[in-house]
Amino acid sequence: MGRNVNRNIKIRIIVFTILALMLVLSAIFADKLCPFDPYQQDLNLAYSAPGLSHIMGTDAYGRDMFSRVIMGSRASILSTLALVGIIAGIGTLIGTICGYFGGLIDSIMMRISDLCLAFPGLVFALAVAAILGGGILNAVLALAVISWPKYSRVARSSTLSIKGTDFVQAAQVTGGSSVYIIFKHIIPNIAGPILVTAMLDIGTMMMELAGLSFLGLGAQPPIAEWGSMMSNGRSMLQTYPWVVLSPGIAIFISVVVFNLLGDTIRDYIDPKMVD
Amino acid sequence: MNITKKMTALVLATLMGMSVMTGCGVANEESKKDENADTGKKVLIFGDTTFNAENEEANINPHDTYCGWPCVRYGVGETLFKFSENMELEPWVAESYENIDDNTWKITIKDGVTFSNGKTCDAQAVKDCFEHLVEVHERAAGDLDIASMEADGNVLTITTNSTKPTLINYLCDPYGCIIDEESSEENGVVVGTGPFVATEVVTDDHVNLVKNENYWNGDVKLDEVKVITISDGDTLALALQNGDIDAAYGMAYASYPLFENDDFVFTSTATSRAFYCQMNYNSPVIKDDAVRKAIAMGIDKEGFVNTLLNGYGYVGKGAFPETFSFGGQNVKSESYDPEGAKKVLEDAGWVDSDGDGIREKDGQTLTIRWISYPSRQELPLLAESAQATLKDIGIDVQLNVTADHGTIVAEKDGWDVYAAAFVTCGIGDPMYFFTTHCLDTSSKNRGGYHSDNIQTLADEMNATYDVKKRGDIAVEMQQEILDDNAFIFCSFLRMSMISKSNLTGLKAWPCDYYEITADLDIE
Repeated sequence: MGRNVNRNIKIRIIVFTILALMLVLSAIFADKLCPFDPYQQDLNLAYSAPGLSHIMGTDAYGRDMFSRVIMGSRASILSTLALVGIIAGIGTLIGTICGYFGGLIDSIMMRISDLCLAFPGLVFALAVAAILGGGILNAVLALAVISWPKYSRVARSSTLSIKGTDFVQAAQVTGGSSVYIIFKHIIPNIAGPILVTAMLDIGTMMMELAGLSFLGLGAQPPIAEWGSMMSNGRSMLQTYPWVVLSPGIAIFISVVVFNLLGDTIRDYIDPKMVD
Repeated sequence: MNITKKMTALVLATLMGMSVMTGCGVANEESKKDENADTGKKVLIFGDTTFNAENEEANINPHDTYCGWPCVRYGVGETLFKFSENMELEPWVAESYENIDDNTWKITIKDGVTFSNGKTCDAQAVKDCFEHLVEVHERAAGDLDIASMEADGNVLTITTNSTKPTLINYLCDPYGCIIDEESSEENGVVVGTGPFVATEVVTDDHVNLVKNENYWNGDVKLDEVKVITISDGDTLALALQNGDIDAAYGMAYASYPLFENDDFVFTSTATSRAFYCQMNYNSPVIKDDAVRKAIAMGIDKEGFVNTLLNGYGYVGKGAFPETFSFGGQNVKSESYDPEGAKKVLEDAGWVDSDGDGIREKDGQTLTIRWISYPSRQELPLLAESAQATLKDIGIDVQLNVTADHGTIVAEKDGWDVYAAAFVTCGIGDPMYFFTTHCLDTSSKNRGGYHSDNIQTLADEMNATYDVKKRGDIAVEMQQEILDDNAFIFCSFLRMSMISKSNLTGLKAWPCDYYEITADLDIE
């Protein structure tokens, strides 16, 4: 029985990893995949319905929606991955240091993270983005500033639970430096929960990044980004629905794929969760 | 087990969502109708995109910045004369005027005009109102240049310091709304002579109006009007669709097809509201004649009007639309010519040496900061369209379309091109635009433009009473600012209001001053 479940999970991991990889690859090679220049305006073609030449139609400026959606994946997916990478890295490092050394530094960092966690996330991000000004980089920074405590909390508690174990003490006794112990013994052993948190976070972060862009604080025109494309097209929901539905579906699919992948990885790493 | 749990959760979530939504939509409309049927009152709910602090409309006191606009638009205040469909003067609070000599005007107020509080509006009341106006309103004081006023019964005699051939036109600007000075309230609720009385004014939100029972000029058909500020075009469209509002001003062009049916009525007119670009002469890049010329040649005005505005507009050439005798048909301006623009830039030494598609000169990249604002829905469209067409000729355009445009433009070197909307011929006379935008003293000469010729021509126009001659000077002045490429006029607004078909009497005016009138009725 257990073996069967395990096999199922493995198949799921492979399927979702392939899907996620396809999304990431399409983002990386976006400029090669676009059938048209996503920034080329042709007002004669404005509001063309989806058809053979433009499979997702065109927007108010006559730009090909399909090309813009593909190009938008670069801003949306790659920025999200970068964002999650940054916060997972920084958060884990801070959490591990706090957990390992304890004391004053632990108190200070954890109070700061309490502060960040006490604010509603997107509201805080809005304030930060508004201060920094528009732009996808600033949006990533804004979300990074508020999102790292989640990881530092997970890393800290995991560190605390393995700090007293024999292999860590053995390393200390044999004279290993703190840096060596943290990177060689602690981080590799707490990577599981961090990875799961990060995978499940990709979908959320993608939505929040798109949300900031939708509100005009993320990607600035003419950059193709799914959130801002939806925002620009929202007045056309009833008249030219493809302009808003194309990026909407793209966000939906990406978030679902990354969430399912995260879910499956969690099931794999932490089998207790599976019924 | 797992699947069952998930399904149950999904069903529960859907049900919860549906129960939350039941409060919205049709139920609202029915409750509103019931309410009106119960009281037997005729209530109009009007959605407007413009009544907000961003437009300098903090209240409805005409003596405060641009607050005269909501005052006259929402039927609270009236001016001495009003503009006809041809932008000619017609009697309103006053019945006639007479030009005694170069500096003296005699205006006769109509008999029986009263303020909404019942007080008689005679020459003395008008005089009190104007005295306060020129004391606190810098733009009005400059426009009117009043030396003294005398009131005798219904006759008001105004003497100006300099010759003011357009004094009467200026008095019809919204700031010229006649209000009762004695009963002015602190919070911007003023007492005017119009068909409606304001009971509550909250900028960015709403104005509540009730019928003026003492209206001097006939019967007011509606009992109450509620003007709601809805700055978001989609919210406005949905509100009109589901019946939350009865009429709308400022609907997004992309939503027009939703209302092209029997349930709704459009009223449209050509206006002199120009969507224009103003150049900042404080910016070293813009100071380059070739750059300004290339920008003027690099904007696809026709595509902008015909496609992005769904044809609801007129391509701009000069500062005034072609409906005026001194309009754009008399001037020559740059037309969309990307190849020509490229050549102009190349000849001036702007070349793309690093192959990134953007030109450089002396190590400086040809980047312009384009500032605009979103409350006029045409402006973001213009910005993004210009960004693409200018990029084709090698100009990198960085957009900043923000409600905070005022702060940015106030900084001398914080911007390069400012795209805005302005009613260029709001008082039916061409001098208005030049006075506000092109002279050294103009309040809206944001880019520090100066031309000796314009200054001389302005002085000449200020001393000219002959309408034809004024028109000729206006043509000459337009040509001058177009030759300098100090301004680019992209299009003029074809203003439309959309209402439910049971609302009668709603009419769009070229001056864009009059919206809510005594004639409005709900059938």
